Formats: sequence, C-alpha cells, structure tokens
Amino acid sequence: MLKINNLCAKVGDNEILKGLNLEVKPGELHAIMGPNGSGKSTLAAVLAGRDSYEVTGGTVDLDGVNLLDLEASDRAREGVFLAFQYPIEIPGVSNLNFMKAALNGKRTHKGQEPIKAKDFLAKVKECSSLVELDGRLRDRSVNEGFSGGEKKRNEIFQMAMLEPKLAILDETDSGLDIDALRVVSKGVNAMRSSERSFIVITHYQRLLEHIVPDFVHVLSNGKIVKSGGKELALELEEKGYDWLKEPSHDTSNV
Amino acid sequence: MSVFTDKFSATLPPPTRKSERWKYSPIAKLLNNEVSISSEAAQGINGWPESVLPNPVLSLDAYLVVFKNGVFEPTLSDLPVSDGVDCIPFSKMDPSASLDFSNGYHQKEWIGELNETYRQDGLCLHIHRNVKVDRPIVIHHLTDGLNVASFPKHLIKVDEGAELNVVLWSSASERSSGMYNGLLEASIGPNALLSLEKVCNEGGKVFHFSHEHIVQERDSKLKMHTFTIKGDWVRNELEIISRGKGTDSVFNGAYLPLGTEHIDNHTTMDHTSSDGTSSELYRGIMYGNSTGVFNGKVFVRPDAQKTNAFQQNTNIVADRGAAINTKPELEIYADDVKCAHGCTVGQFDLDALFYLKSRGIDEKAAKALLVEAFLGDVLSSVSSTELSEEIMSLYTERHGW
Repeated sequence: MLKINNLCAKVGDNEILKGLNLEVKPGELHAIMGPNGSGKSTLAAVLAGRDSYEVTGGTVDLDGVNLLDLEASDRAREGVFLAFQYPIEIPGVSNLNFMKAALNGKRTHKGQEPIKAKDFLAKVKECSSLVELDGRLRDRSVNEGFSGGEKKRNEIFQMAMLEPKLAILDETDSGLDIDALRVVSKGVNAMRSSERSFIVITHYQRLLEHIVPDFVHVLSNGKIVKSGGKELALELEEKGYDWLKEPSHDTSNV
Repeated sequence: MSVFTDKFSATLPPPTRKSERWKYSPIAKLLNNEVSISSEAAQGINGWPESVLPNPVLSLDAYLVVFKNGVFEPTLSDLPVSDGVDCIPFSKMDPSASLDFSNGYHQKEWIGELNETYRQDGLCLHIHRNVKVDRPIVIHHLTDGLNVASFPKHLIKVDEGAELNVVLWSSASERSSGMYNGLLEASIGPNALLSLEKVCNEGGKVFHFSHEHIVQERDSKLKMHTFTIKGDWVRNELEIISRGKGTDSVFNGAYLPLGTEHIDNHTTMDHTSSDGTSSELYRGIMYGNSTGVFNGKVFVRPDAQKTNAFQQNTNIVADRGAAINTKPELEIYADDVKCAHGCTVGQFDLDALFYLKSRGIDEKAAKALLVEAFLGDVLSSVSSTELSEEIMSLYTERHGW
C-alpha cells in the first residue's frame, strides 16, 4: 500500500529526514518510536503534505500514486489522514460544516454526488458515538475551547468520518488521561480493517498496550535504525534509546 | 486650481496629504478629472441600465427609494405610505416642511461644502413617535455614465420609541466614472432604534465619498453596518454622537478590496453622556495591490461616566502588494469608564489552512471557509438574514470562492 523510499526532507537548512525507508501493507499497523528530534513528526507532516517542509529526495508511493506530487488536499482525497499532535482551533467554522466540506471534497474528487443531509447526520451520529464525542462539541467551532482530550477525540471522530486508506496518528496519546486514552484507542481499534493501514507515532509504550502494533520501528537521526515486532516497544521502554542512536555526523559539539 | 475645482468651486481647499485625516487617501487623481453633474440628470432624462436591478436585494421584502446620478426615480421607487411615516424626496416636498439638522460638516470639510453647494436631492424620512416601520427601506443610488458627479443627502429622524431599518445601497455600472458625494444625517430619539446597513457595490472608476452623522438621544439604539463589496476608491466617514444617557451604539464593517482598489473607513464615536455603550468591529482582507485605511476615534467626554466602549479592527493582508494603515485613537476624559481597543494586521492562519486541507478541502474552499468565519461576527449582527446572505453571496461571487 505505502512505500517510502529513501525519503529526505529539511526545514530551512536543517536536514531532518535522511533517507528513510518504510513499507506498510494493507491492514498493517506500524508504530514509530524514537527520541525527541529524531524526525517522527516531520515524517507525519511530510506524508500529509505540509509545505513548510522541503522534500529533497526519495519517493512516497500510495497504491501507485506518488504522494509527493500532490497538494495536501489531494493526498487526503487519495486516502491519507493525519491525526494532529496539536489539533488546530478554527473559530467561526463549525465542526459539522468542516466535515461536510471535507466529505464532499473527497466525493467530488471521486465523481460522486455530495452526501445527502440525512446520510450525513446519520454518519455523524455513528462516528461521534464511537469516540463518545457529545453533540455539544460536535456543533461547536472546530476545536475551539476543547480540552486536550476532546481535541484528540475529535481527531479520531474526523478519521472515522473520512474513512482513510492510510491513517497517521502523530502522538495521539500526548496530553491524554487514562480514560481518554482508552476511548481514543477504542475508536482506533474499531477502525482497523484489512484494507486500512496505520502509522502510529508515539513516545511511549503505554499507547501500544491499547493499540497493538504489527511492527515497531525506531527512528533516530532521520532514519529507521531498528525494526521489530511489538516486543521491541517493551525493550525500548526498559532500555531507552541510547543503545540504538545513530552516531551523529554533526561535530560541532565535540 | 485644477480641472475639478474649476467646475466645482468651494471656499474650503481640497484636502491634501498634509492633513492627517487625508494622509493615506490622496485625492489628486480626482482633481484631474473632468467631472460634471450629469447633463442627463440635470435635464431629468432618465434611463435605467438593464444590467442593474432597481432593487439590489431581491429577496428582501422592502420599500424602495431609487436615485440615479443624484436624481430621484419615481417610477422605480416604492415609498411607504402609512400614518406616522413621512418618506418624501426633498424635490417633492414643501421646503418649509423640511427637517433641518445641519451639523456644520459643510463648514469643516471640502467634501461637505461641495455637497451643500451642489446638492441635487435626497430622501427626507421622519418616523413619528412609537411607530415601528413594518419593512426595511432601501435607498438605492446608482451612478451610471462617464465623469458623473452626484450629490445626494438624506435626512432621517426617528422619534421617541420608533423603530426603523434603512439599507443605504450605492452601485455603479461598469462604464461609470466620476464622483459620488453622499451624506446622511440621522437623529435617533429616546428609546428609539435605527438599524442602518450601508453597502457599496460600485463598478467602474468612481470616487466614493460618504459621510454619516448620527446623533443618539437617551436610551436609543443604533445598529450600523458598513460593507464595501466593490469600489475603485471608497471613503466612508461615520460620526456617532451619544447625546443622552444610556445609549447603545453597535457599528461594524467589512471590506475585501481587490486589484488596486482603495478603501478608507474613518469612524468617530463621541460619548458625551453617561452610561453609554459602544461596540465597533471592522474586519478587512486586503488582496492584490489594494490599499486601505482604518481610523477609529473614540471620545469619552468628562460627563460620560460609566461608558463602556469597545473597538476592534482586524486585518488580513492576503497578498504581498496589499497594504493597510490602521490607527485607533482614544481620548478619555472621564475616570470611571471601560474602554478596550485593538488593531491587528496579519496573514491567513497557515496552520488552520493546512488543517482544513489535510482533510481534503482544497485551498480555495479552505480559504472561503476561513473568510466566512472571519466575516461571521460582522455579518451575524445584520438586521435580516436575507441581507446578510445577499452580501455574503456578492463577496463569494466577486472573489470566486
């Protein structure tokens, strides 16, 4: 489904991804762990098409489409979804109008009719119950005045509404208490299927107890330095990352 | 002397950039124009262009008072006829019955003197005590023709306890150029309500000067909106004087100029009496190489204790070539008051834009959503949804969202 080949990206003069390779097959859930500053969030942003990052090399292929050629909105229409680490508040845009515009954007792209109001509301009801997002939050402006947990639940609600092919979860567990973590994980697990793949970026093994990965990768200094099964996460929890760190070529602090 | 002042002489000199009030809105280009009062209008020969509808808001069930190039158009108008509502153009009324409330603007400003000297016509509107006018009154002025100058002035008097909604709409056909110099004076009696929506949607190359002077008596309410949809060069001056206790003044505005358009909003809120509240919100998005000015004065005089005044001007500069000059001016002479103000100039929120795009909404639609949200606070307080929807759809159509 997804093939990332030798991906390199930078912000300004700062090279962050330095030849990253990853293959994700349909239905698989890959966890990406790694120390601060290793490039995890950059990977998420580059895949979703944030233009503040400059891709300097490599390819990203999603079912035969080169994602790097597409605008962020077209990537989403091809089935990419990014659950943000810090979801954005947009005062004045209602959550429901937002979702309607998003769904219809995708449908128009596929040559389908805009969704009927009745079908839309039924879908909203179904998806919001999945993450226990109550009507009050649904009807408000996008993320405005939401707590950290509510924002993350709203991300998963949007994911359920948009039914992506590939979902990238960027530190979805950060800022969540145990109950919210359970709700969010339940939502993600309900979305798992043989056609849908996930990349879950996290610092902590804690999340992976709830959302069990097929593979765990360690990202360090812009590359994947170790891959394994779910047991790798436990090992990391115990030993930390130091034993895996790529020696940096930066000699300025020697 | 200039081509313009040769024809339209005045004792006051035209403003120059040396004057602070005109520093960012030079009128040199106008002064080189060969403008005159339309001879068609002077002779009373009238033809209405097919491209412009006499009623600018078809969905709105309203009375209609139509002027073209400064001259009243009786056949296109639909005036209210009911007890307690006097609604007559000056040209049709007994001069002795005319309301008079000159505020001296013609002695202070060149624009005002020109209007006083060359005035053609205007609406005289008097709403008697406790009368609530059943429908909005739309005053529509059309500029049509090359180098046409129009000088209308409208007077509105809303007596104690009365309620009135006026829509002051100016348009111009694409072939038009010249000057629109339109004044409005209103007095709102005790406990009375005036809602006034002012919309400028002018094609062509017209210099648009307008000045509204509004006096509020005790416990009266003003709800005013100034929307600039389109206009080559537009200056809106608004002056509100709170003369009685406990007045409430809400005045909001929006502007989204394109190309090389120029838009200037000068507002003055003068609290001279106690317990008044005022709330001002102007929002603008500057596109292309457009230029803009916002200047908002708030005076709180020594007797205006317990005043609560709020002012905000928020701007988005969407393109590199565009510019806005914004300046709040507060002068507070009373000690027990609450005044807040803020002026901001920024860009589209790139994080919000990316968030919307990451959900499959294309850039154009994402920007339209953000613009609608940005204008929402201004549009939501418009008197009727028919009007706010019409305004939004004109913006949408113009900007191709």
